[in-house]
Amino acid sequence: MSASGDNEQPELRFAEYVLGVLDADERAAVAHEAETRAEAAIALQAWQRRLMPLAEPIAALAPAPYVWARICDALQMNASGRIAPRRNLWNDLRLWRSLGVGALAMSLVLAFVLMMPLAARRTRPGNRIEYMAATLQQTDGVAEWTATMDLRHARMVVVPATPAPAPSGRAAELWLIPAGEKPVAVGMIALDRPTTIALNSALMARLGPTAMLAVSLEPAGGSPTGEPSGPVVAKGAIGAA
Amino acid sequence: MSVASPGERAELDRLLLLSGRGDQKAFAELYKRSSAMLFGVCLRMLRDRGEAEEVLQETYTSVWRYAASFDAAKAGAITWLVTLSRNKAIDRLRQRRVQAPADPGALEEVLDERPTPAADAQSSQEYERLARCMDQLEPQHRRAVREAFFTGATYNELAVRTHVPLGTMKSWIRRSLMQLRTCLES
Repeated sequence: MSASGDNEQPELRFAEYVLGVLDADERAAVAHEAETRAEAAIALQAWQRRLMPLAEPIAALAPAPYVWARICDALQMNASGRIAPRRNLWNDLRLWRSLGVGALAMSLVLAFVLMMPLAARRTRPGNRIEYMAATLQQTDGVAEWTATMDLRHARMVVVPATPAPAPSGRAAELWLIPAGEKPVAVGMIALDRPTTIALNSALMARLGPTAMLAVSLEPAGGSPTGEPSGPVVAKGAIGAA
Repeated sequence: MSVASPGERAELDRLLLLSGRGDQKAFAELYKRSSAMLFGVCLRMLRDRGEAEEVLQETYTSVWRYAASFDAAKAGAITWLVTLSRNKAIDRLRQRRVQAPADPGALEEVLDERPTPAADAQSSQEYERLARCMDQLEPQHRRAVREAFFTGATYNELAVRTHVPLGTMKSWIRRSLMQLRTCLES
């Protein structure tokens, strides 16, 4: 269903999205548009600035203390707000990050997190699977990327958990590893922002719950051998989203 | 929300920026200062404490993960945070299998969200401007906009609750949105 349906003014769809009156499909359509078109993201942000002050008079209410504990748990922080030290390669990521990441490079991420409705990533009951997802983690369980596969549109969005600039001369390459098979190159992914990758039919055919995704560090431009040549820095199994 | 003072807003912007750089103390402080506001928003929309807690948790895990995308030049931290929590709450509402039965007269019950004069002194310029523009809407239309914003209801649900045809509800709200934009830009 198209969100534009009976709207003569395209602007209205963004206003309606922000107000919250669209149904799940229409929301997903607007979110998709904001993901892919900068003008749409800007229009959406303008309506957020216009309407969010409405929330101001809502009475504040302190949540129960266990909510913070759960958040820390989910993020693998300890409740005092410190994280267990990271011991491996990704320690360096922290250093890279301290060098600073341009806000411009980050603006796309905003579109993703704010616009992508959770519902769109869930399997609709009774329908065939439309989305699959994988959390790519380091060996110590810290999430580094979330990959969401949109089967209907044959594409994958890979979002870094903690955006960071790439170490110079190195790049991250994503691999699909079907059970018992050799890794198949999926594409290069950014460390500092979401990457959208179109999935060809060969890749689509291999996606499934027995396959894994993995990221290796490669020379800029990708592995020269067609197989992972550098260290595998994160991996994760594919599941229904 | 008790965070309307410019100083507090600037502090939230700063804490969110620091969170985006991986500063966990700043993130903990951000939670301390903003979670009651966002919990109020979630509770208001979901009207269920357990669900509101879950959505609040989802909201802050996303805040931590995506704080680096916050750009204070585009919107303040409060707008960013409230948008994120409302989107999560709306997603949750759309996932509910069976919509809660329409509450007759719900629209009439929507609290008048204009704060008391004492609280008025606390409210932001942005809020005051928007409130003045809201006051210019037809009372019926204004109630529909408020109901939509505070409950996250779809056009359909709003039409059922208020016993008006869907087309009427759509035209009320669309007209109101365009009027608000014109008023805010004047």
